[in-house]
Amino acid sequence: MNQEELNNRLSEIEDRLEAIEQPADNRIWLTCDAENSYAVNKFLFEEVPLRFVIATGIDSDDCFEVLYHYAYDQTGSIITLKTKIHDRENPAIESIAPFLPGAEWIEREIHDILGIEFKNHPDMRRLILSDDWPEGVYPLRKDTDLEAVKPGNGETPSRPGFKPSPPKGAGQTVSPILAVGPFHPLQEEMEFFQLTVDGEIVTDIDVRLSYNHRGVEKISESLQFDQIPFLVSRICGICSATHPLAYVQAVEELAGITPPERALYVRTIITELERIHSHLLWVGLAGHFIGYDTVFMWAWKYREPVLDLLEEITGNRNNYGNVKVGGCREDIPNELIPKILKELDQIEKKTEMLTKAVLDDPVLHARLKGVGILSKEDAIKYAVTGPTARGSGVAIDVRRDDPYAAYADLDWNVITQTEGDVFAKAVVRLLETFESIKIVRQALKKLPEGPVAVEVKEIPPGETVGHVEAPRGETFHYVRSDGGNRPVRHKVRAPSYVNVPSFKASCIGGHIADVTITLAAVDPCYSCTERLAVIDNNNKVIHDYDTLLRLSREKTAQIKKELGAPELKMEDI
Amino acid sequence: MSWKIWSLKKSPWVFHVNTGACNNCDIEIVNLLTPKFDVERFGIKLVGSPRHADALLVTGVVTRQAAPRLQEVYRQTAKPCVVFAIGACACDKGIFTTGYHVVGPVDKIIREVDPNAIIAYVPGCPPKPEAIISGVVKALSVL
Repeated sequence: MNQEELNNRLSEIEDRLEAIEQPADNRIWLTCDAENSYAVNKFLFEEVPLRFVIATGIDSDDCFEVLYHYAYDQTGSIITLKTKIHDRENPAIESIAPFLPGAEWIEREIHDILGIEFKNHPDMRRLILSDDWPEGVYPLRKDTDLEAVKPGNGETPSRPGFKPSPPKGAGQTVSPILAVGPFHPLQEEMEFFQLTVDGEIVTDIDVRLSYNHRGVEKISESLQFDQIPFLVSRICGICSATHPLAYVQAVEELAGITPPERALYVRTIITELERIHSHLLWVGLAGHFIGYDTVFMWAWKYREPVLDLLEEITGNRNNYGNVKVGGCREDIPNELIPKILKELDQIEKKTEMLTKAVLDDPVLHARLKGVGILSKEDAIKYAVTGPTARGSGVAIDVRRDDPYAAYADLDWNVITQTEGDVFAKAVVRLLETFESIKIVRQALKKLPEGPVAVEVKEIPPGETVGHVEAPRGETFHYVRSDGGNRPVRHKVRAPSYVNVPSFKASCIGGHIADVTITLAAVDPCYSCTERLAVIDNNNKVIHDYDTLLRLSREKTAQIKKELGAPELKMEDI
Repeated sequence: MSWKIWSLKKSPWVFHVNTGACNNCDIEIVNLLTPKFDVERFGIKLVGSPRHADALLVTGVVTRQAAPRLQEVYRQTAKPCVVFAIGACACDKGIFTTGYHVVGPVDKIIREVDPNAIIAYVPGCPPKPEAIISGVVKALSVL
């Protein structure tokens, strides 16, 4: 379906819409009544069908707005459906989560921050606010006095974020919250998982967020447009090139700014260098989770030269903050190019060795194939992105679908696998590393001369979206401006936000020993595997993270033994 | 110098606590263990439980949800222990100062449960691995 056919498809529901705007070919804004939003959303998701990206809740003085963002990847289009809720006292709208599980989290989040009720939502527990956050205080409402919200008021929310503990059996005093620790040295965000198991089989999984909720979207409203790249690059340290890029592209689209060509190439190079070190980091951690610590040490050693290069270009090993509205902050000096090329040769050689070691190992085949399968249908239902989607045969990649920076000028491939298991995701990431090396080489060769930034005067009022392909998937930013110095709303969606809920599809029915690696396979900023608590329905056993790691490693050792590999004692791994 | 402090300074075992960091300080801490920096050669080891630790490496702004958990981890750590606030956020909340869900910084939250806690600061966004090593050495040498 091309753009024209898509437009025709969308005009089928014209009678339910109030307006259709199309400021650019592949940016479509629809407006409808709150009463019609369920039907229109269902049409967009199931009939067209579009990929659900995220929803944004906005407090716009006289009413609340809920924006549903969809993407159509064949044409790289972003379609946004806007609805207004006029009742400020009891704002409510029909939930779309019953047919779109990928929207479950964001509706809970919008309820947390704006107090909008989602009717018929299957599970309205608290998601991102802390357990002691008072009821009825909604931080993103413009009239909320946040100074008055003091911590430790001792209230218990009526919608606790945790799942209730199973009924206590005779003599049992277990509670899933017991497992706040052990912290794991490889953690990132703190997330708390509750796994319900029957013997060895996982029957349910739940996650509690909030530990890492810093309120970036609210802070962003208090910063000026040119300060925000520094804030959003600190959302996630390992996506610190892609968050600012998505934001900057959104603002540039709004203001009609075209950055100089050299800036586009520099952006491409930095983003791809980031992808190389991020993927190597994941390979190392995956090795660690299944008991291959050598892979961990190797992979992390090989990513060091990339960090050194980034430091030489941008001044910082991480959090480069190298993009700004209108171009780039730092240029790549031409003298540095030979050095980068030389390092790339080294990295390519080492990654090749690592890839061969991983892909030729019969133990890894036996350990990772058929484990944690995310089927193509589930991948679409949960709207996952990035390597998680590509490992399940969903060939989407923003770099190809909606080309930005210099990707359209370069020759590279989108890597996909169809199996959807952990092995497929590992293959996607390893092969993507080579594609990234290829992209950086070409970009350095073609790097045009000239300035890297243009002057930016004013950001006009309006609203805009930007998205880029981060190492973990699509990073999406929505920015609304009223013509002033600061955005009135800035919504950020990181790829893990949609990838993490897919655990429900990939973990349930699997073995406990496979949980750590299955969770790690979506690379949830690689930390989600910490703070696991396992509740055994029958025996009421609590497994902590260490036990799970040990189980995972024991399984690898067992497979090795069955394959006739020399026996390895547990102490050795 | 008491024998407890003397023994604390040799081969410190560290426990890593993330209280709402962006991941970078955490990656740099893990980087310390990998071949390029390899702090295990000094006997510095990451351990899996605060009960085994001589020092806490705390990163992040301390979010509302994380604050009571950080205090609990500190209570469980064997005393005497050193708390290292790693990174700009842990030292002084950094760019997230105005966040509504942020109650840090680390020293304030730790001092709520132990006013006499030994706290060392390693600023940077993120501090380079070399800076973290230097910070640990400096802190241990003034104890």
